[in-house]
Amino acid sequence: MASHSIILKAENLTKKYRLAKQKTFKEFLPAFIFRKKTSDELIALDNLNFELTKGESLGILGRNGSGKSTLLKIIASVSQPSAGKLHIQGKIAPLIELGAGFHPELTGRENIYLNGALLGYKKKDLNRLLPDIVSFAELNHFIDQPVKHYSSGMYLRLAFSIATAKRPDILLVDEILAVGDLQFQRKCLERIRKFQQQKTNLILVTHDLNLAKSFCQKVLVLDQGKQIFFGEAVRGVKKYLDITQ
Amino acid sequence: MIRNFRAIFEYRELLFNLVYREISQRYKQSILGFFWIILNPTFQLLVLFLVFSTIFRLNTYQVPYPIFLVVGLLPWLFFVQSTTASANVLVTNASLITKTAFPREILVYATIIAKMVDFFFSLLIAIVFFVIFQIRPESQFFWVLGFFLIQLIFTAGLSLWLACLNLFYRDIQYLFSLLINLWFYLTPIIYPRDIFPESYQFIFDLNPMAAIIEGYRRAIFDSQPPDFKIFTSLMFFSAVFFTVALGYFKRMESEFADYV
Repeated sequence: MASHSIILKAENLTKKYRLAKQKTFKEFLPAFIFRKKTSDELIALDNLNFELTKGESLGILGRNGSGKSTLLKIIASVSQPSAGKLHIQGKIAPLIELGAGFHPELTGRENIYLNGALLGYKKKDLNRLLPDIVSFAELNHFIDQPVKHYSSGMYLRLAFSIATAKRPDILLVDEILAVGDLQFQRKCLERIRKFQQQKTNLILVTHDLNLAKSFCQKVLVLDQGKQIFFGEAVRGVKKYLDITQ
Repeated sequence: MIRNFRAIFEYRELLFNLVYREISQRYKQSILGFFWIILNPTFQLLVLFLVFSTIFRLNTYQVPYPIFLVVGLLPWLFFVQSTTASANVLVTNASLITKTAFPREILVYATIIAKMVDFFFSLLIAIVFFVIFQIRPESQFFWVLGFFLIQLIFTAGLSLWLACLNLFYRDIQYLFSLLINLWFYLTPIIYPRDIFPESYQFIFDLNPMAAIIEGYRRAIFDSQPPDFKIFTSLMFFSAVFFTVALGYFKRMESEFADYV
């Protein structure tokens, strides 16, 4: 059954960081020569197991430092797992941090092309999508200004507008919506909702429990890198409240 | 390797965008803008010319000293600017590396291509010099393209090493900017190669940049075609050097986002 095909599956997903004890070559060289330990290990993600079928959305909950961002980085395939596997099917639109690819000296329009290329859009597509991107971001008068003169709200609007110009198979969203004003937030959520209806898998990192409940079928609760819970959203939120109290 | 080049081709639009960013951002807030590309090397040429034209009056090729100098200096500046900028490029683009997935070597290539555009503009100076001194390049002039290809491959290899190592140890960029100063004086740019006694010539044999710059000069000033054996061994060396560098870079790539 196509509608139940698995889009994302984590098997014993583990991420360890080696924290260098010696930060510089000057410190490292003597330690290396005298065979001292040159790194400590930190387990950021410990044996995660979860899966999503097509159209299912996942909320990732956890306190600061529980490994949420690390997990998003692995899903965006920016970072590799140290052990275990993550299977992904489809095109990902990473929203990990909006405006990561923006260059302050370039204009909004130039940044659309740069950021679009980073997201893997072709120039032809971008030419076609440009009017939509600009109008959704409400930047009509400012699009030829350097991005460094933008307010943080304008920055966010442009970034969101580029990243969601095309419907991705998997949409990663990290907190970010908190920056925009209410009216724009509503607009973003509407667009996300529309994508969900067209079977996009949303993966949302948030502290807003109501948002998680209303947008996600599944919830993954992390605590210090360990998987506390994976399953139905309402129960997940309860579980999260239990550990935070 | 072929698969890697195909991946780069897939990302060519990103590459062009990054090159465009690299070139345009540099001159966006300057009044003279693109003139700096030419002013910079001209000024360096003038300084070196004023200082050294009195010391090294002779050179092996029967050409005026400014001509001799410009042929060595411009490719050298291209080499220095590409490598020093590449050493930094992964660190300055940390936000891209931790947020989006794409082949990281594109950042290095974009840097080199942007500097190459600068280099082509700076060749205008060389043309002006050749016109002023009424020097006509010899007929086997086209060899410069071969040596330029070698220089590109060697530069790309070294840049990949530097970019990768500097991501883990920031000391590399400082160390390299020290070393490249020394390298400049150990390369026959401001002086002809045979000014050094026979017993020191091995320094140049170990230095690919010496052979490359010597190659440019022979191609332009000499009536003999360059030594084919030297050319092929240089090409072979830089190709191997680049392949090893790319291999190392790709092996470390998956850890970039964790360390940058």
